[in-house]
Amino acid sequence: MKLRGKHTILALVMLFFGFMLAFSYQHTKALLNEDQIDSADWEKEFYYRQQLIQFEENNNQLQHEIDQARFDILQLENELSDQTEVLGNLVLEKKDLQALVGELPVEGPGIFVSLKDSAFIPTEENVNQYIVHDRHIHMLINELYSAGAEAIAINGQRIFHDSHIVCIGPVIAIDGNQYPAPFVIEAIGNQETLQESLELSGGVIDILVNDQIEIEIGKKSNIQMNARMG
Amino acid sequence: MWLPFLFLLIGLALGFLTNLSIPDYYSNYLSIAILAAFDTLLGGIRAHFEKKFNQHVFISGFFFNIVCAVILTFIGDQLGVDLYLAAVFAFGLRIFQNIAGIRRFLFDLRQEKIQKKMRK
Repeated sequence: MKLRGKHTILALVMLFFGFMLAFSYQHTKALLNEDQIDSADWEKEFYYRQQLIQFEENNNQLQHEIDQARFDILQLENELSDQTEVLGNLVLEKKDLQALVGELPVEGPGIFVSLKDSAFIPTEENVNQYIVHDRHIHMLINELYSAGAEAIAINGQRIFHDSHIVCIGPVIAIDGNQYPAPFVIEAIGNQETLQESLELSGGVIDILVNDQIEIEIGKKSNIQMNARMG
Repeated sequence: MWLPFLFLLIGLALGFLTNLSIPDYYSNYLSIAILAAFDTLLGGIRAHFEKKFNQHVFISGFFFNIVCAVILTFIGDQLGVDLYLAAVFAFGLRIFQNIAGIRRFLFDLRQEKIQKKMRK
């Protein structure tokens, strides 16, 4: 009985001891494995982490550059649109000015005035008082310009800022080209204004009529004039 | 007689089969406890051979040594001193002493047997 009890106790102690031993062995083995894995993996993890950080930094920088480039593009576009607007305005203005100066052909609605020498000339009177003179034409053209005519032509020859109109006997020379009567003066501009400015009482038409000149005045829906040659 | 060995095997099997895991921090305590248990076992075997074996002393020594070793290690951890080395040292020394005692006793036993044979 006593022997058996001793053995039982020893057996229990052995059970406990064996359990602890095996447990510790297993635990230590697991620990060693973990350590090995850790030390092997750590280098890799560090390396990849470093790479990741570098990639992210690169990405950040590139994103920054993209933003900057987009901003630049936006600014350039804005500038371009501004410039094109200005350029368009300038081109339009230049065309207007060229048309006014005569470097471009023009067309548009306007009026025409034809002056004819008087058909009836009393023999006792001076012929000079019955024919169209350059001063009549000067007066007419000045009046037309004052009324806002944009372009004027006489018998199809356009008048420029340096044109000269001279009387040579019965004909009139415009810039050296001679034209006989009748003279048809065409003016592009506001038809109403032009016509009314000519027909004012005591105006140009009255004066011309008083000078025995046959006048015909009318509106023309489309008048074409050429550009200046040379 | 075979019961303790059977139980040792059962204990080993149980230890291998359990999938318990304790934090790394406590692995020191475990090894110290094992050292203490081993020392007590060897002491018990030696006492058995010397005919001084007392099961109460053995049982109390077995568990008390383990608890003491663990407490010593714990205190050492708290103080920042590696006190468990002292336990390792002491138990190691005692294990060798016990082994030496067992060895000597076995030699004596064998010599006695030879003398008995010669007398016959």
